[in-house]
Amino acid sequence: MNEEKDNPLSGEESLKLINEMIGKAKQSYVSKGIASIVWGVLIVVCSLLTWAQVQYKFELGFDVWLLVFIAVIPQIFFSIKEKKQKTFVGHDEITMRYVWTTFGICIFILSFYSYKVYGNNTASLFMMMYGVPTFITGGIFKFKPMILGGLICWGLSVGSLYTPLATDMLFMAACGLFAWLIPGIILWNKYKKNQACNV
Amino acid sequence: MQHEDFSPHDSLKVIQSMLEKTREDFSRDDFYFLVWGWVTFIGCTGQFVLKNLLNSPKHPLVWWIVLPAVAFTIYHSIKEEKKSRVKTYISESMKYLWIGMGISYFVLSMILSKTGWGNTVFPFYILLYGLGTFVSGCFIRFRPLVIGGICAWALAIGSVFLDYDYQMLAAAAAILISYIVPAYMLRSKIKSVTA
Repeated sequence: MNEEKDNPLSGEESLKLINEMIGKAKQSYVSKGIASIVWGVLIVVCSLLTWAQVQYKFELGFDVWLLVFIAVIPQIFFSIKEKKQKTFVGHDEITMRYVWTTFGICIFILSFYSYKVYGNNTASLFMMMYGVPTFITGGIFKFKPMILGGLICWGLSVGSLYTPLATDMLFMAACGLFAWLIPGIILWNKYKKNQACNV
Repeated sequence: MQHEDFSPHDSLKVIQSMLEKTREDFSRDDFYFLVWGWVTFIGCTGQFVLKNLLNSPKHPLVWWIVLPAVAFTIYHSIKEEKKSRVKTYISESMKYLWIGMGISYFVLSMILSKTGWGNTVFPFYILLYGLGTFVSGCFIRFRPLVIGGICAWALAIGSVFLDYDYQMLAAAAAILISYIVPAYMLRSKIKSVTA
């Protein structure tokens, strides 16, 4: 053990080590895509339920967007569990933590604005905000589906300025689909393939 | 050079130097922070003075100051792009962060001009100021930017309770705390390190 510790690494080996660290971090956080799938499904379902309520004039009796808060609980549980199991946290993962924590704070502040001042007509602002972390994540990991997802969110945000609330909700569902659900499924499939190759 | 051996400690030093390099690059790019910081600060305070002290109905025109800043930014970034610089993981992350922020500012401007929330625009902008600076500060591990971002968010929440006129001043304060002051602090830090 000690011998291994004291052995100097060649430049090539050091780079390999750094690459492995990056690879590990990617596998543990991004490659799985579970969080992305959960949030994608949630946004699609909440948006479609809101759309159905507006379109067919009925009420579910509760605010469907509260489901988002319920989904936060298993998310926190799994991330704590994963954190305990880990011995190493990559720089990528830390970066992503900053980006998505910031996104969470901004969504919280936007919800506050929505509740306090602007009423229900804030779908465009939420879609704009969805684009930010998605685009940054896609860019950092050179993952095109997420870059595209971010751009789609911004495009739909602008588009929603010219459509009624019901259609805005369909746009919102499309944001969840393109920004998170589809990229999440692609990541999950890649992760499964990698696992199969490693067995 | 390629055959030189270096210990894990040296490898960590390489990573550390990458972080320093990005800070240095960022400090060189604090030009953007300072240009946009000062332009926005002048816009906010200028509009406040025109509207409240000079009673000018044309107070929003002060924001035309943004146009030369855009032209200057494009010119400067094209010029800088031609210079070859070492690309690090953090500098690439910063690049995508600020491209994303630029697009968001543009989309937000479109949303606010279309929705007619002309009297309540500033809280949204302050929110985005906080986003950009907080994440930048975390990326390059520079605390004044992180604190600036948190202060901007506090102002973003507080400004909702203020009249439009005072929202302008809140935006000016947010820019001062989250852009201008941290940019000067980073510049002096880099200068003292390199000296």
